[in-house]
Amino acid sequence: MSMHTKGDGPGLTRRQFLKTSAYGGAMLLTLNLPGKAQANQSPGAASQWCVYVSIRPDNSVLMASPVMDMGQHMKTAGPMLLAEEMDLDWSLIEFADSCPAYFKLNADGQAEYAYSDMSTGGSHALRRNWDYMRQAGATVRRMLVEEAAARWQVSADDLRTANSYVYHPDGQRQFSYGELAEQAAARQVKPQAVQLKHNDAFGIIGTARTTVDIRQIVTGKPLFGMDAEYPGMLHAVIARSPFIDGQLLSQEAQAAKQVAGVRQLVNVPRRTEASYNGTTKQLMAPGVAVIADSLWAAMQGKQALRARWQAGAEGKSQDSEAQLAEFHRLVSDADYAGQSGISHKVRLAEGDAKTALEGAATVLDATYEVPLFAHLCMEPFNCIADVRSDSATIVAGHQFPDKVVNDVAKATGLPPLNIEVISHRMGGGFGRRWEVDYVLEAVYLSQQVGKPVKVTWQREDELEQDCFAPAMVMRVRAGMDKSNKVIAWHHRQAQTRGGARDRCFPFKLVPNYLSEHLDYPSQIATGAWRSPGHLQWAFAAESMLDELAHQAKQDPLAFRLKLMQPHKAYPHEGFGGELIDSGRMAKCYEKAAEMADWQRPRQKGIGLGIAGHFTFGSYAAFVLEVAIGAENRLHIRQAWGAIDCGLAVNPNHIENQMQGGFIDGLNAALFNKADVQGGEMVTKNFHQIHFMRLSEAPPDVQVSIIHSQAMPTGVGEPPIGPAAAALANAIFAASGQRIRRLPIADAIRI
Amino acid sequence: MTIQFTLNQQTVEVAERDKDMPLLWYLREQQGLKGTKFGCGIGQCGACTVHYNGMAMRSCSITLGQAQGADILTIEGLAPSEDKLHPVQEAWMEIDVPQCGYCQAGQIMAAAAMFKQHPNPSEAQIEQAMTNICRCGTYVRIRKAIALAADKLAKEVS
Repeated sequence: MSMHTKGDGPGLTRRQFLKTSAYGGAMLLTLNLPGKAQANQSPGAASQWCVYVSIRPDNSVLMASPVMDMGQHMKTAGPMLLAEEMDLDWSLIEFADSCPAYFKLNADGQAEYAYSDMSTGGSHALRRNWDYMRQAGATVRRMLVEEAAARWQVSADDLRTANSYVYHPDGQRQFSYGELAEQAAARQVKPQAVQLKHNDAFGIIGTARTTVDIRQIVTGKPLFGMDAEYPGMLHAVIARSPFIDGQLLSQEAQAAKQVAGVRQLVNVPRRTEASYNGTTKQLMAPGVAVIADSLWAAMQGKQALRARWQAGAEGKSQDSEAQLAEFHRLVSDADYAGQSGISHKVRLAEGDAKTALEGAATVLDATYEVPLFAHLCMEPFNCIADVRSDSATIVAGHQFPDKVVNDVAKATGLPPLNIEVISHRMGGGFGRRWEVDYVLEAVYLSQQVGKPVKVTWQREDELEQDCFAPAMVMRVRAGMDKSNKVIAWHHRQAQTRGGARDRCFPFKLVPNYLSEHLDYPSQIATGAWRSPGHLQWAFAAESMLDELAHQAKQDPLAFRLKLMQPHKAYPHEGFGGELIDSGRMAKCYEKAAEMADWQRPRQKGIGLGIAGHFTFGSYAAFVLEVAIGAENRLHIRQAWGAIDCGLAVNPNHIENQMQGGFIDGLNAALFNKADVQGGEMVTKNFHQIHFMRLSEAPPDVQVSIIHSQAMPTGVGEPPIGPAAAALANAIFAASGQRIRRLPIADAIRI
Repeated sequence: MTIQFTLNQQTVEVAERDKDMPLLWYLREQQGLKGTKFGCGIGQCGACTVHYNGMAMRSCSITLGQAQGADILTIEGLAPSEDKLHPVQEAWMEIDVPQCGYCQAGQIMAAAAMFKQHPNPSEAQIEQAMTNICRCGTYVRIRKAIALAADKLAKEVS
């Protein structure tokens, strides 16, 4: 999938129109403008956009972000774009909790966003709304200006706006937006009169803004789906099969029904669909739902039910450790792989890597292992569904409201536009909130019970039913010539069936390059996990670069900078951008190293590791300082990170993502490992899968944002990629131990 | 027979038959206090942290029976008034700690309890007190907010 990344406007050549309506004493301006067809949407489909802004007579503003927040800070960034072009006084804005979702039908009868793109994933939410939100803001501003011009009988082009006021050229007179709004809302403006600001005129974009929900968060207000209520709703907790393709062995239905507050039990059937990669994807796990008056009663009912399950015929052979062993064999033994019948794909080939390796002066051959990663969203999944004969209401936190509508339409047969989605703030998403299992369960139960039902998952459910980041074993053979220039790279990867990465550096930088992929037909469910495959890829690639540098007796930073020469933007066919630029990558390495005072010698037992990665249009590099002490104990001392994400819209939140994302990546490298045994997910809760605590995290992560006027690109995922390699490389620098297997905490104490 | 305890400065009574109910579910479902969050149900993650007689405790692992006679404070009762937040909350706002925000009420309650015991906590005391999981990894900013809150509290005392 490729994306338009140009910052040009939507080409307002078609007639635009505005609708107005009264809204609680204030004007609701609904912009409904034909925008540009986006490259990632079906060609020819008019991509329309809309934002909601109420300007009240007292000049205050009510604003809603098109994109819900899950920690990526889009509820702040979205309004910033709009407020910038409107020239709003930020302090006069009140931010609405909810995010209205509007859909229209496309030619295939599927729902798509009627206005701006409300989805969040692939670090694209800001980028997808960049043009829409700015055009909308600029249009509103022009309407207000033209209204003021008409009242003063001067040319609109002579008027100036700032901080929610329109100023007369005489320097004396002014109108607040609130005074103009009601009449301005009825105006029609010419598209060519709508001008976007030049970047150097920005007063909000590029400045540090605080989370718009901050006060509600620190005072514990009910912002999340978990906190949502609905008139007349019942609660459901489901005893699900922890096995792949599992079957119910026994249950104590009577005992469950005797729990006070429990109303009934409902069997939930297993539901599957064919997946894009030829596998069967489970949409709903088989289970027994306990329907009760309260969540606590439902939880007690589930406990009393004592449902016991057994693995299905297909599922019981599934074992994550055995599969990792198989992956090792597949990457190390070409004959075995050839006879295995497992799909083998050459994904990328440039030059002749095999021949170049034969002629290389030095060849390193190393194999890197990564287990299944679990998601562990802090807020367990939940959804309220109220399904009626002709319509449905869904209340949930989900990354893709359009997917919710279409999948619920498919499950119920309801017309998509009769389905309302009410989005709530999400306690994390990390790609897991792409799946709709928790939504479909609520829909099914509401249909069965004939009432609104809220399904709430427990932590054990979330781990048992996770769609993991694929486990993988990556063998890299890299060759250097006599001058220690990298001339050949052969990456061979076997993994749990699922997505894979490869269009990442050092592709394009090494003349002979081969990437091969063996997709093991595992039944273990996989899905998107924050920056899918990037941390894993970079663990192998950036560890190997480090190994090569040490082999060549060169400084690991200098070695990388040399590899990035000549600085050049290469075509990039993968998701996330049309170009991948070695110069922008090099700058991030340099900046991170400069902040870390890279050249300063550290005392014995302390080491610096460096790693960088390109993810979804952005470049990030980190230097990590660790100490390895007595009994091989790891102490993470500090990190320094540099990011080039194009124009920095909100430096405050870019810094926060860089710090948190890198720590998430360190956590994955150190601890994240889910185990499947005999078809059962055996990792059940936080006592079995450790998550990094404050004492284990780097006390400080200093961040530098590379100055850029390029189109803004994502920051939610780019900080993850380099983390595992930076840590492994730092451990090597501190102690001489080369880590090639995650989780690192298996080998080193922390 | 009823169970009695103090919740955010108010005396509450619950029926003896609910003695095994975890405090977390009483707060969320019977009192409508949704700031205390459910994360794991086994006392690991700390999203449900409240003050129990001034100490930070996981409310998923305290039964109502154990709350008998106790003084319970939740995030909703932490601020002295609507207009004046607790210094820890103010610090969290100024540093702009949260990402998703789900764990932050628990983190704030853990920090506020720590300050009762250690008005000027050492690094070791901070690391010992702050055991709540932040899945977004906001630990760097949590440390900064704790440092800022310590300054604010010192000024309030002086």
